[in-house]
Parts: sequence; C-alpha cells; structure tokens
Amino acid sequence: MDQTALFVVQGLNALALSALLLFIALGLTLVFGIMRIVNFAHGAVYMLGAYVGATAGQATGSFWLAIPAAAVAAALLGWLFERLAFRPLYGREGTAFLLVTFGLALCLTEAIRLTWGADARRLEPPEFLGGVVFVLDEPFPSYRLFLIAAGIVAAGGLWLVLHRTRLGLLIRAVSQNPAMAGALGVDVRLLRGAVFAIGCGLAGAGGVLAVPLITAYVGMGASVVIDAFVVVMIGGMGSFVGTVAGSALVAATQTFGNFYLPEMALGITYALMIVVLLLRPGGLFGEEE
Amino acid sequence: MTNRLSRRRLLGATAATAAAGLLPLPAFHGSARAQAGTLRLGVPTAVTGTWAPLGAQVVRTSRLFAKTVNAEGGIDGRKVEFLIEDTQGVPANCLRKAQEMVEREKVNILLGLMASSEALAVMPKLAEWNALFISSINGAGSMTAEAYVPNMFRANTSGPMGARAIALWLEDQPATEFFSLSLDYAWGHSSVEVFEKLITGMGKKAIGKVFAPVGTKDYSTYIARVRQANPQALYVALTGDDGTAFLRQAAQYRLGEKVQIVTELVDLLNVKPVGESAVGLVGSSRYTFAYDTPANVDFVKRFTAEYGEVPDTFDGEHWQSLQLLAAAIRKAGSTDTKALIQALEGMELTSVKGPIKVRACDHQAEQQGFVVRVEKRDGYPHPIPVVIKTYPAARVTPECRKASY
Repeated sequence: MDQTALFVVQGLNALALSALLLFIALGLTLVFGIMRIVNFAHGAVYMLGAYVGATAGQATGSFWLAIPAAAVAAALLGWLFERLAFRPLYGREGTAFLLVTFGLALCLTEAIRLTWGADARRLEPPEFLGGVVFVLDEPFPSYRLFLIAAGIVAAGGLWLVLHRTRLGLLIRAVSQNPAMAGALGVDVRLLRGAVFAIGCGLAGAGGVLAVPLITAYVGMGASVVIDAFVVVMIGGMGSFVGTVAGSALVAATQTFGNFYLPEMALGITYALMIVVLLLRPGGLFGEEE
Repeated sequence: MTNRLSRRRLLGATAATAAAGLLPLPAFHGSARAQAGTLRLGVPTAVTGTWAPLGAQVVRTSRLFAKTVNAEGGIDGRKVEFLIEDTQGVPANCLRKAQEMVEREKVNILLGLMASSEALAVMPKLAEWNALFISSINGAGSMTAEAYVPNMFRANTSGPMGARAIALWLEDQPATEFFSLSLDYAWGHSSVEVFEKLITGMGKKAIGKVFAPVGTKDYSTYIARVRQANPQALYVALTGDDGTAFLRQAAQYRLGEKVQIVTELVDLLNVKPVGESAVGLVGSSRYTFAYDTPANVDFVKRFTAEYGEVPDTFDGEHWQSLQLLAAAIRKAGSTDTKALIQALEGMELTSVKGPIKVRACDHQAEQQGFVVRVEKRDGYPHPIPVVIKTYPAARVTPECRKASY
C-alpha cells in the first residue's frame, strides 16, 4: 500500500467516523443550544436507535425501514421524556437536568439489556452497500462511503431546517432569547419538546447507522457519547458549524493519531481538546460565557 | 429445646444491638450460614462493560450449575448458591467486590473473574483473606508464573496455551511473515509476546504489532496499519464486543483476501454477529460445544434444554472450573480453603474438554489444545467452529511457572 493510497484511505476513514460522530454531536449541541441542558442520556438513546433499528431491519428485511424506525422510536422517547421529566424542572438549575438525564441513561441501558439480552445484534446493509469500492487499488467498504453521504445529508438537512424554515427561525429565536421569544407568542415549551425529539431522533439514526460497523451491543452508547461531548466542547457548545468542524477534527485526530501514535490512542482526543480549550476557552466557534 | 430458645434470645439480642447501631451485619450472616448449610460461591464478574456478553455466559452457567447440583441434593449434601456482583471489568471494582464478599458475606471461594487485570489485582490478597480463587476465564500467562499464588488455580486454557496451539498449527502453513493485533492490557500483551516468540522460534518473522485500547470500536485505522505492513498472516487476540467489531470491519475491508487471519480465541459470541464473513477464520479454541466427549455431549444437552442455544467458550470453561471445584469439595469432604487447595493439587478429572490434570507446581490445569476453523454446517443458523486439530496437553502447556515455551 503506497503512501498516497494510505493517506486517501485514512482520509475517507476519518470522514466516515466523523459522519457517525456528527449524528450524535448535532443532537447534543442542538439540545444544549435551545435548552442549556447537557443530555447525558444521549448515548443511551443512540443505543436504543441501534437496537430498534437492528430489530426492525431483521423483522422487515429492509435496511431502509430500519433507519426511520430507529429515528422515530428515539424521537418519540425524547418527546415523551421532555414532557414527563423535564417540564417540572424548567426554572431549576442545570444540575437537576444532569441528574435526571443521567438517571434516564441508566434506566434506558438496563431496559435495553432486559429486553434484548447481552448478545450483540447485527444488521446488514443492503447488497449494493455491502461490497467494496477500489480507491487507488485499495478495497474500501461502500458502506463507509454511504456513511459519509448520510452525514452530509443530515448536517445539510439540519442546516436548511435551521436557516430556511419557520421552525428553524423559531428555534434560533428561542436559542438567543427564550423570554423575548415567549413574549412574542412563541410556544417555547412546545419548541423545546420538538428540539429534544429532533436531537434524540438524530442520535437514534446515528445508532442504527453504526450497527453494520460495530453491531448493536449494550454499552455502545457510553463509549461514543464521550467522543461526542469532546466534539461539542471543541466546536463550541450550541454551535452548528462548530459541531461539524469538531467532528471532522476529532475523527481526523483519532484516525491519523491511532495510526502514527497507537500508544497514545486513548489520550490523543483529550490532548486535542485541551489544546483547543486553552487557546479558545469557548470552543472554536463558541462564545465565551 | 433450651438450645433453640437460647439461640432465639441471642438472635433477638443481636437484632436489638444491630438496630441500636452498635453491632453491624456479621452476626446475622453467621446465624444464617449456620441455619442453611448452603455453600455460597462468590462471582465478581463483568455484568456490564466491554465484557458484558462474556459475563452473561458466566452468570447463566453458574445458574445452570446451581440448578443441576441442587436437584441432585447439592455438593456433598450442601446446596449451592451464587453471589454475583458486577465489576464492569475494572480491577479496582473487582478487588472491592471480592473483598466485600469475603469479609462481609463470609465467602471463601471466588470464581468467574473476567479480565486478567482483575484477577491479578485480587490474587495478592487471597492468602490474607484465606480464600480460594479458581479461574475459568483469565488468560494472562503471569498468573501461573511470576504472579503465582498458592490460593489460585487456573482451570481454563491460558493465553499462552492458546497462542501455542495456533502457532503449532501455523508451523506447517506457508505464511512466514506475521503481524499482530491485540488489546492493550495484560492478556493481549501476554498473548502477542508468546506468539511472536513461538513463530520466530520456527524461523518465521514477526514484522510488527499494534495494541488497541479496550473498547475500540472503529478498527479502520488498525486495518490500514495491517495493510501497510502487508504481512502474509495476521495474528489477532481480541475479545468481547471489540473482537466482533474487528471481525466485521475486517470482512468489510476484505482484509481476509490479502492476509490470512488467525486468532487466539474463536468465540461463537464473535462469530454469530459476523455471520457468513467469519467462515474460514482459523484459531485456537478454549472451548466449543462441538467437542465430542461424553461429558460435553451431556453438558450441551442440558444447556440447550435450559437456554435454547448452544453454550459458548466461557460457558464451557466456567462449567469445567465448577466441575473441578465440585470434585475437590467431594474429595476433601470440606469447603475449607486449605483442604481444597490440597485436594486440587494433582487432581485429575475428565471434563467437557476431555482429561485435565491440575499440576501442583503452578496450579495450571494441563489440558488439550484445540485449533478450529469456522465453517457453515447444516442445522445451525450461523457458522460454527469445527475442530481441525487437537494437540495433547504436554505440547501446549508451558513448563511449570513459565508463561512461555
């Protein structure tokens, strides 16, 4: 494998990984931007998406049905959770939300374990994504190319919603000044529910998309959500552009870092975060608070 | 009668004192133990974390064992009960849970510890606790070498023994240049070290190695590394969800078409979710349901009747260690730690994996080495490991207190 091919393949690997991170991190940053809540349950929702998707895919035999099934199940859970658990807590300080989302993460993880058991679940991508594409004579899985495309579609779609629709306008208004938006007649509570559901839905979709790579297993949420938090911290909490840039940066650091410095594999992401936060405490695209 | 009355009064008194907060739990446990005569076995294992699927095997096989022996009246007339606690595979947790079991619950027999790093954390304390630990999973070679303690026995195939079996098989294979990929902790390092030493001893070449952190899920970087090194064969020592993730991704990158992949550990756990693309994988097997021994046929039948699927690697290994413990208790006529150690040393037993002999010098159970190939067979919804080579115990077990060959 020559150096050019290696570099190109690694670049594609980084993009695929960043697409997966993006699904989780976008939801996290969206929820934080609107609600100022750090959602600890985000990883568990991602896992729920993976399991629901794997089961739906197996039952229907269709990968394309598995994705909406996972996203809808995750969004529904998010919407319910916002109504039942968050509503009584608005107005309290952030720690109340930390506790309640942490509690949800634990409950959801156990519920998944009880429902699906400890064995990993699998889901196969459709035939035409199951093969390889030759990149400079190196076989590269088509599915990873599809992930890159899916990441672009998700980020682009969300950007369009935020900047080109009335819903997006309202979301941005509430994010900037909830009191003023409320005074102008925006139903802030409804909007929060919608945003939380969208964030969870994105995580659910990310979960099912990860299954063909890593299978669905209990604990898959915990490992990925930490990376997603790092992405959001690096990009700037609540910043859309920052999250996209953060995903790319974290994925590239992990992919190339693990290659050249495998001994540093665990620490390299955090090293990146420390450097970024030292230089820009609010993150690359965030505002200092 | 008077005896019973006085015990009642004593119980009442302890309850009152405990309620007053002066005397904590132990008195209760003492009395509970005297009443039941139940043998309680401590299992601090990984119910959650990377090794959760392996922990689930330990838990279900423990349950099946308790059910089986209790239906027959227990071991030596004593009913068996398992005390299972989650360690998440973290050595500090494991040490704490084991200590609680020993000191608070008065357990003196520990089994089912998950990671070698956990076992190595617990082992130095065993003598002080006067407790016995029989390993059914832990692979690190050092446990029966430089870290040996008299209160630990290893009923299972160790990492070096697995590496040895696959290395012996590779001796007759054409591949000469090897790359190794493993997990960055005690077992992984031990496995790769032994493997590299063995193949270089055969005149083959170890051209590189890389260790991934436990919990790695994206193996694309490591696969690129293997491709760049361009070996003829890749030696893999991965386990749990990490192993599954690697095998799936290796198949997606068609790695097996360029490089022969061999592994220290073939588990159904990894093979099932990988599906068709696992076919052709060759590796050592610590246990597979396909072993054709009478004890194993019986075990597989029992297990399948109970759980509706065939047992996996650590179901079999854990079952073997429990058989060994039961035999030792019967031989010693006691569950006292010292008596059990004496009974176990030199003990011979025919178990699900065939004949085993626990040698006295380092407490490793000498047993056969198996090499399997994953194949598709009628009647199974997924590919299964099929034994292609069996090596006698003498060829795969290292010398006493040695972790290499």
